Amino acid sequence: MKVLVAVPALNEAAVIGQVLQSLSEVHSLRDVVIIDDGSRDATAQIARRAGARVVSHPINLGVGAAMGTAFKYAVREGYDVVVQFDGDGQHRPEHIAELVGGLDAADIVIGSRFASGGTFKSSAARRGVQRFIAWVVSAYARTRLTDATSGFRASGPRALAVFAEHYPVEWLGDTVESIVLATRQNLVVREIPVGMNERAGGTPSQSVFRATLYTARILFILGLASIRSVPPQLRASRAGKEVAA
Amino acid sequence: MTPQVLAIAMAVVLLIVVLLLLRSYVLPEKYAVLWLIASIVAIVLSAWPGLLQAASDFFGISQPINLLFVGAFFVVFLLLMQISLELARTRDELRRALQRLALDIEKTSEDDDD
Repeated sequence: MKVLVAVPALNEAAVIGQVLQSLSEVHSLRDVVIIDDGSRDATAQIARRAGARVVSHPINLGVGAAMGTAFKYAVREGYDVVVQFDGDGQHRPEHIAELVGGLDAADIVIGSRFASGGTFKSSAARRGVQRFIAWVVSAYARTRLTDATSGFRASGPRALAVFAEHYPVEWLGDTVESIVLATRQNLVVREIPVGMNERAGGTPSQSVFRATLYTARILFILGLASIRSVPPQLRASRAGKEVAA
Repeated sequence: MTPQVLAIAMAVVLLIVVLLLLRSYVLPEKYAVLWLIASIVAIVLSAWPGLLQAASDFFGISQPINLLFVGAFFVVFLLLMQISLELARTRDELRRALQRLALDIEKTSEDDDD
C-alpha cells in the first residue's frame, strides 16, 4: 500500500523543518506532501528544501480545503492511504504506522488523545465539553469515538475515493462532519489511542463563549447531517462510474 | 382564517426553503445562520403576538408593528452587509489567486524557453 503523509500548514516556518525532520525518521519525505495553505512566510521553501512535495494554495482556504487538495493529490498520484499530520509539531510520527495498521479493519482510523492509553492534559471544563461531543458523535457514528476533533487520522482507499470528491470545508467540517459523511457512506471509522505533544505554535481557545459556540456548531453539523442527502459531487461521480461500468 | 395563520405559514415556508437549500448543499452553513435565526424569530412572533406586544411595551413603542418594522429592517441590513463584505473578500481573493497564477504561468513559460 502506498502511503501519503499530508501536512496542512499555515505559516509554520518556525517549526516545519523540525516536523519534517522527525517525519523523515519513519517515512520517506518523497511520500510527504505539504499543503501550504497560503502561508506568508517561508513554510513552502523550507519544506521543499527538506525534500518534501509541496502544493501551495495561492490564498488561504482553510484546513478542510487543504485536506481536500491532499486527497485529490493522493488519488492523482496513485496513493492508497492518506495520513493527515499536523504541521505544528503536535502529532508524533511513531503513531503513523499504528494508524495505517488499523486500516486493515477500518476505512478511517483516528488517533485519539482521550482513548485509554492516550495522554493529554486539559482543563476540567474542556474535558467535559469534549466528553459530551464524543458521546453525541459516537452515537451518530455508531462506534466509540472519544476525540472527534482530532486531526491525526489515516484514510484508506474507500475513504480516499469519497474525500477526493467531497471534503467539508467549513469550521469543524474537516474533523466532525467528515466522520459523519464517512459513516453515511457506510465507511467504517475506528480510533486508536495516541499521545500528543504540546502545541508548538498557537494557543487553543478556552473561553466559555468559544466553548459554547464550538458545541453549538457541532450539534448543528450533526443535526444538519441527519437531514442532508448525498453531496452532489459524490452523486455525480458515482453516476459517472455507473455509466462507465 | 385569521391574518395570523398567513403570517405563520409564510414564516414556516421561509424556514423550509432555508432548510431545503442547506440540505442540498446549495446554501453554505455560514450564510444560513442569519436566515435560520430570522425565520425562527418570525415563526415565534407570528405564533405568539403577545411577545411582540410585551417587547414593544418594554422599548416604549406604542405601535408593536413599528418594532417589527425596525427589527426586520435591522435583519435585512445585517444580511445585506454580510453579502457586501463577502463580495469584497471574494473579489480580493480572486484577484490575488489570478495574480499568483499569472506569475506562475510566466515562470513556467520562461523555464520552457531554456
